[in-house]
Formats: sequence, structure tokens, C-alpha cells
Amino acid sequence: MKKMLMLILIVSSIFAITAKQIIQKVNNNLQSNSGYSKIKMIMKSKRGERSITLESWNKGNKKSFMKLLAPKRDKGITFLKIDSAMWQYVPRIQKSIKIPSSMMMSSWMGSDFTNDDMAKESSIVEDYDTLIESEDDELYYIKLTPKEDATVVWDKISYIVAKKGFIPIKAIYYDEDGAEVRSLKYLDVKVIDGRNFPTKWEMRRVDKPHNLTTIIISDVKFDIKIKKSMFTKRALVRLSK
Amino acid sequence: MIFRLALRQIWSHKKRSIITLLLSLIATFTLVFTSAFSDGQHEQIVKSAVEVYPGYIEVANRDFEDNPNFDNLIFDIKAIEQILKKDNRLYAYSPRFETFALYSTKIKTIGGLFCAIRPESEANITRLKESLVAGEYLSSDDTNALYMGVELASRFNLHVGDKLSFISTGADYSFAADNLYVKGLFKTNLFSFDNSAAFMNKSYFDKIMMSDNIATKIIIKPTNLDNINKITKELNLLMPQDINVRSYYESMKDLIKAMEVDEFFGYFSIGILFSVIFFVIAIFAYLSIYARVREIGVLRAIGTTPLQVVKLLFYEALILGSISVSLGGLGGGYLAYYFNLNPISLEDMSGGDKESQKMMEDTFKQYDFVVDTTIPTAFKIDSIIRDILIMLILNIMTVIYPIISMNRYTPIQALRYV
Repeated sequence: MKKMLMLILIVSSIFAITAKQIIQKVNNNLQSNSGYSKIKMIMKSKRGERSITLESWNKGNKKSFMKLLAPKRDKGITFLKIDSAMWQYVPRIQKSIKIPSSMMMSSWMGSDFTNDDMAKESSIVEDYDTLIESEDDELYYIKLTPKEDATVVWDKISYIVAKKGFIPIKAIYYDEDGAEVRSLKYLDVKVIDGRNFPTKWEMRRVDKPHNLTTIIISDVKFDIKIKKSMFTKRALVRLSK
Repeated sequence: MIFRLALRQIWSHKKRSIITLLLSLIATFTLVFTSAFSDGQHEQIVKSAVEVYPGYIEVANRDFEDNPNFDNLIFDIKAIEQILKKDNRLYAYSPRFETFALYSTKIKTIGGLFCAIRPESEANITRLKESLVAGEYLSSDDTNALYMGVELASRFNLHVGDKLSFISTGADYSFAADNLYVKGLFKTNLFSFDNSAAFMNKSYFDKIMMSDNIATKIIIKPTNLDNINKITKELNLLMPQDINVRSYYESMKDLIKAMEVDEFFGYFSIGILFSVIFFVIAIFAYLSIYARVREIGVLRAIGTTPLQVVKLLFYEALILGSISVSLGGLGGGYLAYYFNLNPISLEDMSGGDKESQKMMEDTFKQYDFVVDTTIPTAFKIDSIIRDILIMLILNIMTVIYPIISMNRYTPIQALRYV
């Protein structure tokens, strides 16, 4: 009997899922080698509500391209991210401008998302060490702490993941003082190309209690063919039209 | 009778009287002038810091200081201006829109402060216009003209007439960008400011940034700078609930505190110096009075009472002290007045030595102080009277101990004193 119990323990420990594997599975749901999506960003603040619409293409988390479709005033502005560098083309001045890396944590278009969030510069898989803090019947509570050589801003991310389908539920971001800075909720999960993909994301900042930025993602396509020429500075100008 | 005797004693011991007189005259002169210089230096630092850009009084959204974002702006400048227009104690006021922008040329992109001003009214309040070093200052007709800090321009290698672009977020959070040209360059001596700030005419800025009738703050200069706190308080009562008015005492409290600490240590150093001077005067007073023990013995022997002796010596000290501190105060006061009108030039003090001037400049950069290279001394009658009274009291204190200790001698003891 004792031997049987020992065997069960050994087998279950071998097959127990690690935090890294959970995060990898979550990431597989959210990202692909290449992808396309249409995004509507709704920003609520003390002053009211406004929204922007954009198209986004990406190749992993190293390359991404975005084009603003609305509002009319901002239509045609394009963004290109290659590795850690980010450029944007502004039709009004007919110029591509490189965004300094020091500005990657600045607000993107006045939203509660940062340039880093939009460009997916840092990766929860590559840049963070993972640990299962606790779990219950339905959820994993995972702690992400930055790797020593990672250039990331958050000192800790608490990630809540649904056991069923490895769907992200919520991410809470903390600064170096251990204070909560913001939280991101993942909602409206749809199965797209076999992935459990949350199509509504809600970002709230602790220091701006009146604010709420909601991202609604539609037309999501995974593992599509994207021309190499899309991720070039020339495309910034060409595709802005 | 005793007073006349005291006058006669002073006159008959000319040498001793002149030395006593000179000692406290020089000490008073030095105290009055060093105080005036120290006060002038602090006032100049604060004045420069306030006038270079921040302004004496500022009006802003109550939440802007803690959360300086576009949700906490002044959304109706005209309503605030209606209130300000009625106050005849105000010399000038001017709205500003301050934000962050990326400036870009073909070579590089740098982030910096991007400010919209009403050029004419701004010039009445701050030293922006006076700080022009090349090209021209802004005007209210300007469109895409930029008035740029010299250090920021040098990071791009930009000169007057050169072109650049900016991108930023508009007041409605939309995307704002435009091509600009450098109309003028300014240098305030505040290194971090010159290194990051650029200005634009607000009427054109409003079109690009969607900020019509919107401002981050309105700055005010009162006609009488002594009324700042009173005006601030009264304006606050008239403003809408979400608007706050504060003076530079509040908005620049760190600098004010630093100046207070510096002032304290300045007075502490002066205190140490004058303790030494006090002891020199005290020793001289002690020796001068003890040199007269036999003379006092004679006075006592012919019937002068100890109280009359005390009065005699006290009057002597009072007369000499009053003359010397008055002359010293007048001299020091005149010098303070002269250098108030003709400020001391630190550049002249360095004797035109470029290395010394460079060192001075580097120190300013290090501490990020806006220090004019000319420092006027403070000419304040109340401070001069205060210093004169301090020296007079010190003078009198120096004779108290020798008078008391000499009065212990009986006439015979005094006559036998060697």
C-alpha cells in the first residue's frame, strides 16, 4: 500500500504542471507566430468617453505594426515595432519618428495602456520567473518576478489563470515598492482557431480611479502569412494611406 | 552733571575713545553690509527662480498638482480671466498650456517640455523674453514658430530658422503633430530648463492641440509684490471650486525652504564672526576700564557714589556706542544702498578670468540654480536699524562686567591699585 502511495506521489509530481508551463499555455492562447486583429479602444475618464480604432499585425512579440483607422483626425498614423525599437509615421508632418526607449512606459494615445503594452516589448514568458503562489479548484494564482537581466518595469505581476482552458482572468501589476499600480481584466472569451482568446480587455489604474480603458478585439486571425515588407520603415509611409 | 563728565572723559582720552569708536564702527559697518549682501543674495535667487518662468502666483485645477494630466486642466480660461480682470491689484496674467512632446529632426528625437504662451502677456510676468540670445521672441501672430532653450537646440545642433517636427498628445487626447521652425533661442541660466523647454504662441498651439480656452495654469504678477499672500488668499475665495490659487511660497516651497536653511546658516556664520568681534571689544573695554581704577578711586575718594561711577561709565559706553554704531550703520547702509542700485557683478569679481567664470557656471549647473551673475544687496531700513541696535546692545553688554567688578573696590583699594 505504502509503495502504491509513493508511486502515485512520484507520478503526480512528474506530471504536475509548473507555473512556467501555465504561463506558456496562456501565452499560446494570446499570441501566435503571426497574427492580425482589429482593435477598438474605449477610454473613459473624468472628462467623458472617446474611442479609437486600429488594425494590428504581429510576428511573435518581436515585430508588430499598427495603423489607426479612427477617429478621422488620427486616421493613417502608423506604428512599427522591431525588437525594442518603435517608430511612428504621422501623415500630417509626413515624417517617421523613432520613439525613445525611455518613453516605452508612457501612456499610449492617452489611454491606460503604455507604448510597451501596445508594442508587446516585454514578454511574460521570456522576461519573468514564475511561481504558483496558490491554486483552488478553478484558478491558478501565479507570481511573476522579473529575471535578473530583464529590462522590465514591473517588480511583480500577479496572474490569475483559469484552470479550464488556461484562460487569463486578471493580471495585477506592482511597482518596486510592492504597491499595486494597475490591473488588467480579460473578458468575453471566444474560441478562435482553437485558442481560448479573451476579446475584451479592461485596464484600470490605481492612481486614476475615474479611468477605464477597454479594448475590444475583433477579426482575430492567428498564424497568417504576413509579408516581410510590412515590418519595415517604408511600410509606415506606404500603409498609412 | 554725570553726563557732562562722561563727555569730558571721552574728550580727554581721545586715543582710547577713537579706538573704541573705530572697533564698533567697523563691526557695525561689516554687520550691516554682510546682512544686506546675504539677504540680497537670497532674494535674488528666489526672484530669479520665480521670474525666470514659474511666476509669482499660479491658478490651476485643484487636482493638477497631484495628477498633472489632461483630466485636471482649467477648462474655461475666459471665466477665470473675468475674475482676474476685475482685480486692479494685478499687474499682468497669462494662461499657459504645458505638456510633453517629442521633438524630432532628421538626426534624432528628444523628449522635452512643450509650452504654449501668450507671448505679450507672458513677457510682462517672466523673463522669457529677456532671455532671448538669438533670433526673435514669439509674437501673437506666429504660427509654427518655436522659441527654444539653447541647450535643447544644441542637442539637435539647431540654429535660428532651422526646421524640426513635434509629436504630442492633444488636450482631447488625440494625436498632435506639426512641422515647426526655430524662431528664437533663449538662455535663462537654469540649465535643466534651457535643456528641455520650448515655447509656442498659444493661439496657434490651440488649433493643433485642440486646447482652445483650455490651460494647465494661469500665472499672475501682482503690482505690489509684498501683497502676494493676501491677493492669493482673496483670489482663492472668488475662484470656482475646482480651481486653486497658490503663491510661489507654496509652489516653490522646496526652494523657499532651502533658502531659509541657507539663511539660517548664513546668520549662524555671521553670529560666530560677531561673537569673536564681541570678545575683542569686550576685552578692550575691560582693559580700558581697568586702566582707570585709580582715576575712579580718586572720584570715589572725593565723594562720588558707586552708582554715579556706574552711570559715568555707562554714559561713556552709551555715547561712544551710539556714535560708532550710527556711523557704522550709516556707512554700511550707504554701501548696501549703493550696491542695491549698482549690483555686485560676480563676473567682474572673477576679474574676467574665464576659468573662474566657467567654474561659477558649472556650479550653477550643478545646483540648477538660476543665479544672475549680478547680485544687488538688500536695502532694508528695518534690517539696518535691527543690526545697529544689536551692535549697540553688544557694546553696552561689554562694559557691564568691568563696571560691576571695578565697583567692588573701596576708594583706598582703588587708589592703591597697580
